[in-house]
Amino acid sequence: MTRLERTRRVVAGAVLVCLALAVTESTALAVPAFARKYQTSCQTCHIVFPKLNAFGEAFRLRGYRMPAETEEMVKEPPVSLGAPAYKRLWPQAVWPGAISSHTPLAVNVKLADVNTSSLNEDGTVTSVKNDLQFPQEVNVFGAGTLGDHVSYLSEITFGEGSDGSVAVELEHASIHFDSPFGPEDLFHFRLGKFAPNLADGFQEMWISTDAGIDSLFNYNPIGFNGGTGLGADAVSPNPISLPTLVRGIEAYGIIRHRALWVAGIANGVGPGSNDTTGRFDGNNAKDVYARFDYKIGGMGFDGDMGGHPIPDKNWQDNSLRLGVFAYRGDASGINFPFTTDSGLMTNIQDVHFQRTGIYASLFTGDLNVFSVYLHGSDSLQVFDAGTAALLSTGVPDYHAWFTQADYLLYPWLQAGLRYETVTPADRSVPTLKTGVANLSALIRANVKAMVEYQRDLRQGKNHSLNAVLRFAF
Amino acid sequence: MFRHSVVIGSVCTAIVLAYVASPIGASDSITGVVKVTGLASSADAVVYIQQAPGSFTPAKPAQMDQRQMQFVPHVLPIVAGTTVKFLNGDPTPHNVFSPDNEKYNLGTWPQGQSKDYTFNKCAKTPCVYTQLCRVHPEMEGYVVVLQNPFFAVTNKEGHYQIDNVPPGSYTLAVWHEKAKAQPKPVIVEASKPTTVDFVLGR
Ligand SMILES: [Cu+2]
Repeated sequence: MTRLERTRRVVAGAVLVCLALAVTESTALAVPAFARKYQTSCQTCHIVFPKLNAFGEAFRLRGYRMPAETEEMVKEPPVSLGAPAYKRLWPQAVWPGAISSHTPLAVNVKLADVNTSSLNEDGTVTSVKNDLQFPQEVNVFGAGTLGDHVSYLSEITFGEGSDGSVAVELEHASIHFDSPFGPEDLFHFRLGKFAPNLADGFQEMWISTDAGIDSLFNYNPIGFNGGTGLGADAVSPNPISLPTLVRGIEAYGIIRHRALWVAGIANGVGPGSNDTTGRFDGNNAKDVYARFDYKIGGMGFDGDMGGHPIPDKNWQDNSLRLGVFAYRGDASGINFPFTTDSGLMTNIQDVHFQRTGIYASLFTGDLNVFSVYLHGSDSLQVFDAGTAALLSTGVPDYHAWFTQADYLLYPWLQAGLRYETVTPADRSVPTLKTGVANLSALIRANVKAMVEYQRDLRQGKNHSLNAVLRFAF
Repeated sequence: MFRHSVVIGSVCTAIVLAYVASPIGASDSITGVVKVTGLASSADAVVYIQQAPGSFTPAKPAQMDQRQMQFVPHVLPIVAGTTVKFLNGDPTPHNVFSPDNEKYNLGTWPQGQSKDYTFNKCAKTPCVYTQLCRVHPEMEGYVVVLQNPFFAVTNKEGHYQIDNVPPGSYTLAVWHEKAKAQPKPVIVEASKPTTVDFVLGR
């Protein structure tokens, strides 16, 4: 392999860590609408927002209700949409509901000073210094409860392009039916577009860095010999990595405070940008996913302490949480255009794919270490784009893992380190290794400043240093 | 000039009130109105006699509850040596700690349980202990440790009444979490209600 070829391989494999950083926006949920509703601090639910503490996780899983919530805990009394007695008249009357008395909106603004360096295919390096992305994005949230057993979450993200165009993304829009029947917290359902409760509730729980966990959520499995690296967001139709957002129906619940079960059905891969049918699903098949985890020590998933002593520092939750999860997708009939190195134009279909993972999260004192191992396999069929002839089939597999350690130096200052790696299915591409170092400071309860350095540990010319200011209100 | 008229106004009000309230007010009581300028409410000011002769032992334990994610009462004056029972009336766990004076942290406990703390380390009264909860950083309350039991907390309108004060001359002071005022001399005569008003500013 010549030096140039090697460079090309590295670049193809990585599709630039830094680019991925800029492209994948992590959903950042910090919803001050709840702070207003309960007139409580961000720290009641968050460690360093958006990372949740154990209580915040219980609040989220219970449909944005506090454990053992009583009416008097809600400091903004809701507007009744029907007296409770109408429940007795049903079906001769509409079942009563409630809405919050104030518009339950919250805003999250992110300013970023972006510095990146990235290796190009021809061996040159492109660097960007002090790109003041003020703002990089603005998120508008709506969240709350609609009377007993119903809650909702919506999030719209606005980003501005350099040409002044505004990109709008609907990140969340879901309605939840919380414990509609059966024992409290055993069955919850939600419908809509949401972050699936797949790998630990996603970013709300874990992400305390600016960069998303690309090894897990941004792998692109499409390639002549299997996937070569990251950048699924850049390919059309849609990413087939482990999805961070799904359109679908999810059921989940808590068993005896300590076990969490999740089962979901999702639309799966979309038809692609050149589709004109107005569909969201690229085929008739549905994707399915499931998860199970168990927590030893600390606060139960529903906020139960089971008589254990409660730590004064509410970010502490001495516990070990272990989980398994699986996602099975079907993208048959959906063409991913792919041009081989020799210039052959092909369409690749990922007929079915599986993602299975295990994870662990350990909280001890001010330290939280969490890790995920993911194995993926893809049933690929390669077709000649011109003749539609089947050229080859294969079941390439890849694996990825990451470990992150977050340490709270002060209640307002957190240091985080993450190592992540992907071994792409195309084994001619070297394993991608990325390191992330982050320092986050809450300069106010709802204003966060952070500095983050990310580096491609395989090719040191790919790195970025970003300073981010994020505030929520 | 404006301030003067406010003071005169308050004094007049107090006189009228004292007159109206005289059948209720004990003869050896100190009553008055505390006006906290710039605040919507004049509640939660502690009016107290700085130093009374003799030593005072606390009669019975006092209580501070945590309800609807608030310390109740918001301000609790006590005689030095009093044991305060800190309750949790909420379904959510609460913590009690104070960063003041000798500093203490009573831990975190669930609904229905309580912890006691005896305030016997105050070297020079008044000792103000801010009460905080680690779990809910917005929660705040105060325990004010005083030398004697001759104190009262103002209501929303700023009224206070200290009963059963032995005749004598004292210095009457006022404590408020956000506002201040100079102490005032007061002479308590037997079977004669005394009226002292305060205007508190920042
Ligand atoms: Cu509390």
